[in-house]
Amino acid sequence: MIIKRNRKYLQIALNSTLNEAIEIVRKLPFSERILIEVGTPLIKIYGKRAISEIRVITPSYIVADTKCADLALRDVKMVAEAGAQAATCLGVAPVETIDVFIKECKKAGIDSMVDMMNVDQPINILRELKNSPDVVIIHRGVDETEFSKDKQIPFYQINEIKNNFDTLLSVAGGDKIEEVQRSMFNGADIVVVWKDFYQSTDETKDLAKEFLKEIR
Amino acid sequence: MIERNKKYLQIAFNRSLNEVATMVGLLPLSDRIIIEAGYPLIKTYGVDVINSIRGFWRQKFFGPEDSKSGMKNFKLEMLGLAEFRDLLLKKDSFKKIFQEKKIEDKTVAINLYIVADLKCMDRAFTEVEAAKNAGASAATCLGLAPVETIDAFIKKCEEIKIDSFLDMLNVEYPFEVLSKLKSLPKIVMLHRGVDEGEGNREKEVPYHQIERIKGTYDDILIAIAGGETAREAITGGFNDADIVIVWKLFNENPGKIAELTEEFLEKTK
Repeated sequence: MIIKRNRKYLQIALNSTLNEAIEIVRKLPFSERILIEVGTPLIKIYGKRAISEIRVITPSYIVADTKCADLALRDVKMVAEAGAQAATCLGVAPVETIDVFIKECKKAGIDSMVDMMNVDQPINILRELKNSPDVVIIHRGVDETEFSKDKQIPFYQINEIKNNFDTLLSVAGGDKIEEVQRSMFNGADIVVVWKDFYQSTDETKDLAKEFLKEIR
Repeated sequence: MIERNKKYLQIAFNRSLNEVATMVGLLPLSDRIIIEAGYPLIKTYGVDVINSIRGFWRQKFFGPEDSKSGMKNFKLEMLGLAEFRDLLLKKDSFKKIFQEKKIEDKTVAINLYIVADLKCMDRAFTEVEAAKNAGASAATCLGLAPVETIDAFIKKCEEIKIDSFLDMLNVEYPFEVLSKLKSLPKIVMLHRGVDEGEGNREKEVPYHQIERIKGTYDDILIAIAGGETAREAITGGFNDADIVIVWKLFNENPGKIAELTEEFLEKTK
């Protein structure tokens, strides 16, 4: 596993245009605790060059949010070749796909992240797997947040999972400072934010520092 | 657009762009062919791969000299079928194809129908828009996605006039998903995943669901995916599916693509 245990990370997800993403990455302070996520829309719009073009401008750890649902071998190979350190697979994907995904990530020397978006009981999925992924992501989607305002992030699942499986925990879908604090309080290892980093502004650098302060 | 009471063959392309170009070049000019820009292809090249595929198809009509003559930017949509046919007949290269294949003008697909296999899971508005801008005729959303995403996906597809495919990969009860939606997708895809098929031979293509869904929802068309043999493809066609999706068979026999397509089109007339 490339990511280190006993460290807390801020994952900044880039979901706008590739130019915007590159500009944001250039403004970020360098920290080993910042992970750069090449978001799903970027990968679908630009293909693997979204990853490789960001790769050449930063030494940071890159997460390719491929949201693999099938054909795991292809996804992992593509992501590793493009220079990412981690890829994501959907927890709702067939169990065969998740198993292949975890196995291939290990072979390729990158970290496996399983995204539990729209999974009621992540524990039940994890029990079915041959091996645990390096990271499990507790995730409330953007559309869910936008159209069902009362949907909560199930923070209680963090400890439930950590107590039963040898895996790190990431929380995605809560962009407010209070939500970040709650994630940390509940034992998250990684917190994913995107809203404040959708566009590059003069505050990009300070915002990243501010979030980083909360993540300890 | 897709018509009822017709059987379509959807060919999913998952390999390199070079191979796609070659294979598109070999396909017969039928309006019962749907091309799917596969999920790995989109992730590798980006959605613009759809524009490229459309370009390969147009080359079948106009030949590779298009860019020089300015034909590349020609708006085919603006022409009626008869005008288009006349235009084509002026070109010797097409005249030959026209005569050899005895193509009736009504079966010629002028604008290729291309499905962007996005497997949308979130951010439906952004993804659907990107697909449409790249020239897709339809896009896919996962039945496993949050219901908010599926609703947003279908709404956006209706708004910008592309067809919505709902992919039921790994969904045990498609009915349950459909009953929660604000409006129905145009096409439901019944699916056995590639990894599922390889890791677990016992998992069957869910043919039995076709009749059940069609019996309950009049307006939904069914696409069936996951079959790997010619027999399975034809079975899908005979099981009342409107669209049969194939990939392995074609991707593994690139040289035989024309033959296999014609065999399918002939048998499912």
